[in-house]
Amino acid sequence: MRVLDLALKDLKQVARERTAALFLLIMPILFTLFFGLVFGGSGGEKDPRLPVGFVDRDSGSFASAGLRRLLEGSDTIRPVVLDEKAAARAGERVRDGKLAAVVVVPAGFGERAMAGGDARATLIVDRASSGGQTAASAVQAAVIRLLGAAKVAQLSAEAFAARQPFPSPAGRQLYLQEALTQTVAAWEKPPIAIAARSLQEEKKERPNPFAQASPGMMVQFAIFGLIGAGSVLVMERKSGTLQRLLTTPITRGQVVAGHTLGTFTVVFIQEAILVLVGQLAFGVGYLRQPLATLLVVVPLAAFSTSLGLLIGAVSREEEQVIMWTLIAMFILSAMGGAWFPLDITGQAFSTIGHLLPTAWAMDGFQNVVLRGLGAGSVLLPAGVLLAYTALCFGLAVWRFRFE
Amino acid sequence: MGEANAIEVRELAKDFGEIHAVQGIHFDVRAGEIFSLLGPNGAGKTTTISMLSCLLSPTSGDASVMGHSIVREPMAVKEAIGVVPQEVALYPDLSAQENLAFWGKMYGLRGAALRQRVEEVLEVIGLADRQKGRVSKFSGGMKRRLNIGIALLHRPQVIIMDEPTVGIDPQSRRNILDNVGALNREGMTVLYTTHYMEEAQELSDHIAIMDQGKVIAHGTHEELVKIVGELDRIDLSINAEPGAIVEPWRASEGVRQVSVEEGKISLLVHDSNLMLPRLFESANRAGVRITSVEIQEPNLETVFLHLTGRALRD
Amino acid sequence: MKLVDIALKDLVRSFRSAFALVMMFVAPLLLTGIIYFAFGGLGSAKEGFDLPVTRVQVVNLDRPAGSSGDFVAGRILIQFLRSPEMARLLQVAEVGSEAAARAAVERKEADVALILPEGLTAAVVAPTSPVTVTLYHDPALTIGPAILKGVVSQFVDGFAGSRIASNVVASQLGRRGVAVDAAVLEQVGRGYAARIQELGQQQGEGRLAGLDLQLPPGQKPSEERAAMMAGMMVSQIIFFAFYTGAATAETIIREQEEGTLARLSTTPTPAAVILGGKFAGIFITIIVQVIVLLLVSALLFGIHWGEPLSVALVTLGMVVAAAGFGLFVMSLVKNTRQSGAVFGGVLTVSGMMGGLFTTGVQNLPSFYTTVNLFTPHGWALRGWKAVLAGGGMGDALLPALVTLGLGIAFFTVGALLFRKRFS
Repeated sequence: MRVLDLALKDLKQVARERTAALFLLIMPILFTLFFGLVFGGSGGEKDPRLPVGFVDRDSGSFASAGLRRLLEGSDTIRPVVLDEKAAARAGERVRDGKLAAVVVVPAGFGERAMAGGDARATLIVDRASSGGQTAASAVQAAVIRLLGAAKVAQLSAEAFAARQPFPSPAGRQLYLQEALTQTVAAWEKPPIAIAARSLQEEKKERPNPFAQASPGMMVQFAIFGLIGAGSVLVMERKSGTLQRLLTTPITRGQVVAGHTLGTFTVVFIQEAILVLVGQLAFGVGYLRQPLATLLVVVPLAAFSTSLGLLIGAVSREEEQVIMWTLIAMFILSAMGGAWFPLDITGQAFSTIGHLLPTAWAMDGFQNVVLRGLGAGSVLLPAGVLLAYTALCFGLAVWRFRFE
Repeated sequence: MGEANAIEVRELAKDFGEIHAVQGIHFDVRAGEIFSLLGPNGAGKTTTISMLSCLLSPTSGDASVMGHSIVREPMAVKEAIGVVPQEVALYPDLSAQENLAFWGKMYGLRGAALRQRVEEVLEVIGLADRQKGRVSKFSGGMKRRLNIGIALLHRPQVIIMDEPTVGIDPQSRRNILDNVGALNREGMTVLYTTHYMEEAQELSDHIAIMDQGKVIAHGTHEELVKIVGELDRIDLSINAEPGAIVEPWRASEGVRQVSVEEGKISLLVHDSNLMLPRLFESANRAGVRITSVEIQEPNLETVFLHLTGRALRD
Repeated sequence: MKLVDIALKDLVRSFRSAFALVMMFVAPLLLTGIIYFAFGGLGSAKEGFDLPVTRVQVVNLDRPAGSSGDFVAGRILIQFLRSPEMARLLQVAEVGSEAAARAAVERKEADVALILPEGLTAAVVAPTSPVTVTLYHDPALTIGPAILKGVVSQFVDGFAGSRIASNVVASQLGRRGVAVDAAVLEQVGRGYAARIQELGQQQGEGRLAGLDLQLPPGQKPSEERAAMMAGMMVSQIIFFAFYTGAATAETIIREQEEGTLARLSTTPTPAAVILGGKFAGIFITIIVQVIVLLLVSALLFGIHWGEPLSVALVTLGMVVAAAGFGLFVMSLVKNTRQSGAVFGGVLTVSGMMGGLFTTGVQNLPSFYTTVNLFTPHGWALRGWKAVLAGGGMGDALLPALVTLGLGIAFFTVGALLFRKRFS
């Protein structure tokens, strides 16, 4: 009973902090909305493909027109035709992220391509960015198809000429152009196509841009919210009320248990609200497997609680609570896949990230919301979270000071 | 303006909206003396010295400190005074030496003169061996001493101390009172506010009693006590509601004044030896039992009680 | 002189606080360092080699076609995917059925299931109905499936192109009444394959085939990673400079609560000097912070900040903006208990609106880039981007002037509010 009283007292203190609602709920929701909208990719545009500038200095030759047509058929990029005035600032637009890349077709490109010479266009791109890499890859594919088409035209003309000479150079030219155009058109329905789909898309589900941001921000703010709980503990110690508690018939174990229960309740309620908001406002599928979601939420709250207890145990001042909490939050969130999926990082980073409990929490959530898996898929993540909980809790109890 | 006066207060008043915190007060502090402003919390003492320290502007009236008007020459006033605020005002993350060095600069001390003065003050306040320690790690008493030391850096002619002994242990209090005496013996004028009668009595050459924004009496201790003349104070507790006996006692001959505060009855009487039996007798008649009796020689508390009808300590 | 004493005292107090040091220096460098570590693999000359290996389960339903002899396109593709140069990217296992492959992806035993359809070889050797090579991938993955798709696409394009070549030649000759025999088609096939191989070799030499690469203005080769880190570091510097501005401005309120501000007023120090010292302390602290961050990040992450004068110009604008904004925001706060909401809420939201959390993200919605310009953060970021792109004073001038102007405006209002408060 005393444990409950103590937990309730902590809850009251946290709830009375005016910043509690801000840090625990408003900020994670705001961040989820922000990152979901921004990183969602489409940004409200009708065509979600990456924009790639197209500058035609070859006076609209069949080759440059063919290249443009091939680019339009891409499923990852869309060409944006730039006139000469816009072309002058094309590089800056790539630098500023407004265009993923710019293709500049030089004068004489078509002629060289058709003659089988070294026809080269210019690609302005920053391959350090993932958008740049994607654009470069797609443009490369289109250029190879175009140069291949020029070769086809050449081969066809040779085959024809071997049987029937061309009436005139103009006639040959027309033949080549026809071959090129026909080849380019054929690529719109190639004999062998590639289709890539996620298992989610297979189930006719549209990708949800909040599916990363919602669980990511929940994980991050489950840790950020510890500032409140940790501060309560430090204030109790500083004001002497913690020592005073021990003059009442309550054991040290009960004191620790009370604080633990109080913090756990705060984090659990926070997560529950964020799950509901995520499901109802952002359409993230937490509740299609409610048991599985619960099996991630509870261990995450437990881990967060044990971390908060540890921070409260080692901190002497409120400022230290904030400092340790922020450091823990930055590292656990950034390296645990809360900000960006670990699969887009390097091998080493991804491996190290998975040493952290937050990465496992993210895995658990993604199994539910992205992969649609059930309770069985979250048992391992839950187990890892609980193991870390035991570790942090043990350290906290060992380091806990009452004065 | 008398040359021997370090501070002259003339019709000084301060209003905060509808509240008249200080109402046209008037007193002088002679150079080289210890002058106490005595009064309960809320009497206007802190407001008065805030004005004398040039922290607050008066609503009306003026005062001069070492010949400088607080209204027209606040900077000159600040050069002449050292202020010890009631709450410790120190930088907790700086050391004692760093605190003194910084405040010394604020008082215009520089270079070798500053360094020497800091060392001297550290000796005076007994913190020379803890000068490198961070103030956040100091005990309450040590902080109070440093708090006083800062006010001494620039060798002010007047030192203003606002209730410096509130909430501290008896030993530290004793130290502070001894320090005040020592400073005064070196020639410093001290303006000291307190609500402890014993301090005012022990330290002061002159005392002004304040209540509800007014100076209700001032003079030496003896002069003030004379206000109540030969009146003794008798404090009594009874086993019934005071209302049962207050009127009969008030009506008794020889009783000058009766007041009731928190169940305790205080009487000012001409002769306590003569009056006591009568008081017991009338209590008997009223069916009331006296449970405790205390007799006080006339003192400042008696004076305050006489003048205001209330106890000095609330 | 007293003004400087007060400012220096504040600087000393700032640098004595472990918390302040963490927020001024450790946090921005830590965050940038984490990103450096995370994305260090991308953007280097050997692209993609540091990425996690993608586990692929392949189902080869392909069969020899009538005229293909031993040639099975699916088998050749699998051999390619298992080749040594692909081993660093892909781990390929062959399974018997599509269902088994998909189930493996669902159980997270594989990242991608690659289904090579039955008529693949037939589609290569003869004009038949089109076929589709299908990839099913784990929905949580993006890079690995994209890489596999790119590799398979390019390989398959070779086959498809060969088929298209034959079809086009046959169609053209046929329309002109010229007979098309196997020899012609074989010649076409060889000629086309040779051209594709030639283009492939160009790629093998580390270039792009048919394309000359050009970096965006201001970027130098071999500095791509540093350019990415510079963007990240800049946003951290701006964010934490604004944080420091607010935190040092908060000390005015803290001194009021500590009683030392009132005590300062009892010394012969004019109020203007006291407040001026506090304000100067804010500037000096931020300047020291920014200089240290610029130098340390240049050393740690190889960032080349650009022309010193331009750097100085945008730094000045940013410092004034950060100091002014911090002072203004704190002038609205009554006590230090309320300031938590400022740090948590106002600074983060304004940083978000200023675009600090999305540097490096491409294809941002246009409304968002407009919103950036309503914040001093957005203009500071603009100035820095111009400088990092190799721009001179001219390019940095407008953003620097705007940040300076905004900073002065915020500062003036904040200073007036504080003066009023303490008068």
